[in-house]
Amino acid sequence: MKLRNVFFASSAIAALGTGASATDLEFYFPVAVGGAAADTIQALTEEYMANNADVKIDAIYTGSYADTTTKAITAVRGGNAPQLIISLSTDMFTFIDEDMIVAWDDFVTEEEQTDWIGGFYPAFMANSQTEGKTWGIPFQRSTPVLYWNKEAFKAAGLNPEEGPKNWAEMVEMGKALTVKDDAGNVTQWGVHIPSSGFPSWLWTGIVAGNGGKLADDTGTQVTFNSDAAVGALEALVALSATDEVMAPGILDWGGTPKAFFDGQAAMIWTTTGNLTNVRTNAPFDFGVGFLPGLQQNGAPTGGGNFYLLKGSSDEELQAAADFVKWVTAPEQAAKWTIATGYVAPRPDVWETDTMKAYTADFPQALVARDQLEYAVPELSTFEGPKVTQLLNSALESAITGQTEPKAALDGAQAAAEAILKPYY
Amino acid sequence: MIHDTPLDRILIRSAGTLLALLWIVPLAYAVWAAIHPPAFEARFDLTAPLTLANFTSAWDQAPFARYFLNTILLVAIILGTQLVLCTLAAFAFARLEFPGKSLLFALILMQMLVMPDILLVENYRTMRSLGLVDTILAIGLPYFASGFAIFLLRQTFMTIPKELDEAARIEGCSLLGVLWRVYVPLGKPAMLAFGLVSVSHHWNNFLWPLIITNSVETRPLTVGLSIFATTDSGTSWAVINAATLMTSAPLLLGFFLFQRQFVQSFMRAGIK
Repeated sequence: MKLRNVFFASSAIAALGTGASATDLEFYFPVAVGGAAADTIQALTEEYMANNADVKIDAIYTGSYADTTTKAITAVRGGNAPQLIISLSTDMFTFIDEDMIVAWDDFVTEEEQTDWIGGFYPAFMANSQTEGKTWGIPFQRSTPVLYWNKEAFKAAGLNPEEGPKNWAEMVEMGKALTVKDDAGNVTQWGVHIPSSGFPSWLWTGIVAGNGGKLADDTGTQVTFNSDAAVGALEALVALSATDEVMAPGILDWGGTPKAFFDGQAAMIWTTTGNLTNVRTNAPFDFGVGFLPGLQQNGAPTGGGNFYLLKGSSDEELQAAADFVKWVTAPEQAAKWTIATGYVAPRPDVWETDTMKAYTADFPQALVARDQLEYAVPELSTFEGPKVTQLLNSALESAITGQTEPKAALDGAQAAAEAILKPYY
Repeated sequence: MIHDTPLDRILIRSAGTLLALLWIVPLAYAVWAAIHPPAFEARFDLTAPLTLANFTSAWDQAPFARYFLNTILLVAIILGTQLVLCTLAAFAFARLEFPGKSLLFALILMQMLVMPDILLVENYRTMRSLGLVDTILAIGLPYFASGFAIFLLRQTFMTIPKELDEAARIEGCSLLGVLWRVYVPLGKPAMLAFGLVSVSHHWNNFLWPLIITNSVETRPLTVGLSIFATTDSGTSWAVINAATLMTSAPLLLGFFLFQRQFVQSFMRAGIK
């Protein structure tokens, strides 16, 4: 009896919701940079609702990216899809394959095609468009940068205002920065490039810096064992093995900022999503620079896009799209960038007074933007999780010294080709 | 009976000690990290200062009080319903005759062969059509009719001498009266053992609650903890360990306090 009451009550609410008076939207979002940023999204959503009385948005914080994707896929299959989610930009091919997203093109006017969609940095759109359609709208996007500890640089006799410009300089400086105690144990490493979980992300940057590319934009072809890729992996392995400037073995992502704060590593590679965290918590002055490349500048992009999910009426999807247009507009995007350190995804955001005041006070925030010119898309293919996992395992086995770099990458290439064969 | 030689005893004892040590290491580390300042996460110095700041910091960063309430409600609802439903069903399978009995019992046993994860989408659809998405009831509903509980209690009830049953009936006891006065008291060890399994399973269950809940008002501890421990911005292991200890403390304490009773009832119920 009770169950039936609940059922009737909720169908009644659902019936009201579809009436002309109001549009109810659901929106799943993960925040990989820690819970406090979730409050910023809640605040933005509430501000939007205050100005648009006919729309009600239920913003649901869903933890990590993986948890959000799991929830979204189940909800779509269960016939209860939210209208909007934020998920990894690299999930695009997976979502298309699952037939669970709709393209944004139907929900924007021709004018907005050029002004709005055309207004994002091309580096971020590379992971958001395929087959001539736009599937994702960049929002919490990041790119890795190098952070250096100015005090450690001073102590090592280096110029604290200049970070390494290329790989060779990084190794050189790393040697000066690696400090050992009397017993021969290292108390401070020169460099820390995290490799737990998803080493492929930072490694994509090293490959780009070596003039290579891992996948094409159709999501069906990969080149894991090109000369540039093998050279990039050999250089990464050499940091611990022969240069002795980085701790051996797999280095933890989560522990990276902490190793930096505690002085265990003088230079770290990590996402700009950490900029605000480092700014708040580092007990010393720090510098931020481009990822030092083997031959040229290069870095991957990363982070999350907005996706529109199938399973709702066009009116609801239109309302969701309108919300996204508002939240990515300069003033709102500036708030988000300042709260988190994510890279503002449009040039016009950087032109706002809020952003100008912020960067005048904190010029390190500009580094990520300027690096976008050299950015390459994060590895994204059909069967994305499987292919990326193959590559990650290969990288881990090379980093831990179990396999030679070339052999590991040859193996990953062959296995990835087998998986991608049906999609050619 | 073969007698243990001293060598056997030494081997058994040392293997036991080794297993116990392996089991306690993560817990010991969690305690270490939780009660020391973050600077001592990976530095084991006996003179390190002790602190409870990690606990207060974790408690302040997420609504753990609400998560605790949700989890306690959840396991109480599940266990209560399971015991009522499954006792009745087990009694019927153990002592009553009705058409299709063995087929039905086989179907219930099948439930134990199916991984609940396979049913995620189907269960989600059901909850949605009942309008129960994002409720505590929805987390528990798929587990109410537990095949394992029915099986376990049926086996226990079958071992109870029929003479007791008949004696009670001759004294004028009704069918449900027999269940309540004879079977339930004698089946208590099995129920206690099942209760422990059920409570610890649902206290720790993650995937289904993650998918079916959307708000702080319904999320149990596991989901709350996972959402709290995001990694990108640098994990503070001290705080996460403090939060983990907090969330597992009630189960740990309960087990330490009632260890003897639990072990005994497991032995009697034949779950090992």
